[in-house]
Amino acid sequence: MTQLDPRVAMHLSDAAVSVELETPDMTLNIGPQHPSTHGVLRLVARVDGERVEAVEPVIGYMHRGYEKLAEVRTYAQTIALVNRIDWVSGFANEIPFVIAVEKLMDVEAPERAQYIRMILTEMARISSHLIFMSSYPLELGAATPLMHAFRERERILELIEGVTGGRFHPNFNRVGGVKPAAGGGSATKKLIQDLPAGFLQQARDAMDKVLTVCDDLDDLVTGNEVFQARTIGVGVVPRDKALEYGLSGPNLRASGVGFDLRKAEHILPYDGIDFEIPTGENGDCFDRYIVRLAEIRQAARIIQQAVDRIPSGPLQAKVPRVLKVPPGQAYVRAENPKGEMGYYIVSEGGRVPYRVKIRSASFSNLSILPWILENQLIPDLVAIMGSLDFVLGDVDR
Amino acid sequence: MANARPNTFPFRGLAKGLKVTLKTLFKRPVTVHYPLEKEVPVPRARGVIALDTEACTVCMLCARECPDWCIYIEGHKEMMPPAKEGGRARARATLDRFDIDYALCMYCGICVEVCPFDALFWSPDHEYSEYGIDGMLHDMDRLTDWLATVPEPPPLEA
Repeated sequence: MTQLDPRVAMHLSDAAVSVELETPDMTLNIGPQHPSTHGVLRLVARVDGERVEAVEPVIGYMHRGYEKLAEVRTYAQTIALVNRIDWVSGFANEIPFVIAVEKLMDVEAPERAQYIRMILTEMARISSHLIFMSSYPLELGAATPLMHAFRERERILELIEGVTGGRFHPNFNRVGGVKPAAGGGSATKKLIQDLPAGFLQQARDAMDKVLTVCDDLDDLVTGNEVFQARTIGVGVVPRDKALEYGLSGPNLRASGVGFDLRKAEHILPYDGIDFEIPTGENGDCFDRYIVRLAEIRQAARIIQQAVDRIPSGPLQAKVPRVLKVPPGQAYVRAENPKGEMGYYIVSEGGRVPYRVKIRSASFSNLSILPWILENQLIPDLVAIMGSLDFVLGDVDR
Repeated sequence: MANARPNTFPFRGLAKGLKVTLKTLFKRPVTVHYPLEKEVPVPRARGVIALDTEACTVCMLCARECPDWCIYIEGHKEMMPPAKEGGRARARATLDRFDIDYALCMYCGICVEVCPFDALFWSPDHEYSEYGIDGMLHDMDRLTDWLATVPEPPPLEA
């Protein structure tokens, strides 16, 4: 026999009915899957009718043990692993890792390499946010934005592939610069893997197209009354709660905190670039969407400026052929499309790290789920989860 | 919660959606019908690894650096006749086996990068799916065949 709900009991005494009503809560298993298949997540929800009383996310289905794997792999091999953590923005994952190793080895990448890193990171950001722009309206029942967003995303991925050779897993960063040559051998040693001819112009064209598709999305989604009804005022995360739960990235900025590691940390040459940090006001699902849309525009702006300014010069700093990292520890964080991504590397000297701790944005962003989903309706559950834009590979590592 | 944003006119979203439908109805699709039409991958695309057996010296660097340990190499020393009359016979390492298990490969390209003798190349060719997992193990002959598909490296941005 369950405890009588005091609200129900109140009415019962009014009506002077002496039956004891049973209103058992139902436990609803959602998953193990993500409604938009960003990975595998299980939600154990205690529901009372349409109302969600409590939610417990069960994670770990995508656990691949990257922190442990890194302990038995050389630094060069680990770079190939880390771009699989958040697979929709592979390039951005490599940045904090290589810079942490560079910090330990006390080397700095040449300026041209840093600009290439910055351009490709912003492209990864655009491609990641375009996935959000397509999957989020899809979760709310609009299929058309997906077609528009994926068309431009394909263009971006092709540009990334043209430079790095990989669409999703670029594996392009090296300690002290970017990937040197196809084969390090004597015959092609001079063939440094610089940007392929025409890349800068293609990037400019692609950015124009991206800005156009942003307007299209604005037109199709932002002003749509169904979309607004589903998102405005839903899943509000106030500023203090966002800080309390350690949200980062667009989710934090949608709550009105203008914190962006691109401006706060100086690991890539963002200083000379003119761009804004879009922030929201209400911290609801609509604001999280708007902030991401604005971030695509800002990322396009960054790329437009960076391709004009990219200096010529070497792509690699002088680094020994066999990487031996001196003992020490370093934590470097960077702005991933999902938020703060950081690597804490402990080296005891030698070719393999002693310990790598990965701070991934999605894990912290997901931690707010039990709080934010309390007392929400089941249809809003999907809208709220989608608006947080987590990738389960990033959660479980 | 009262929203500060202006409410839109009813059915405006629907009209806008239909406008997009009309606009795209007469456009050429951006997609291609894959098996009938094919897109040309970029020259740097990491599709499959080609092997130049002549250049390989069985140094095992690629097999050692591979994060998945998916390269299997066996070799032996062969005595070559001396280059000059009366010289010493030279030993030359010869490949017996060079297999890459593409079922394990994560296409990181470390093997191509560490090869000191330019024996490994990336080819953008990617159409080698198989019905069984054992077919993904490419032996020396198959890897050598890929050599024909290796493109010229693209010209570089000045």
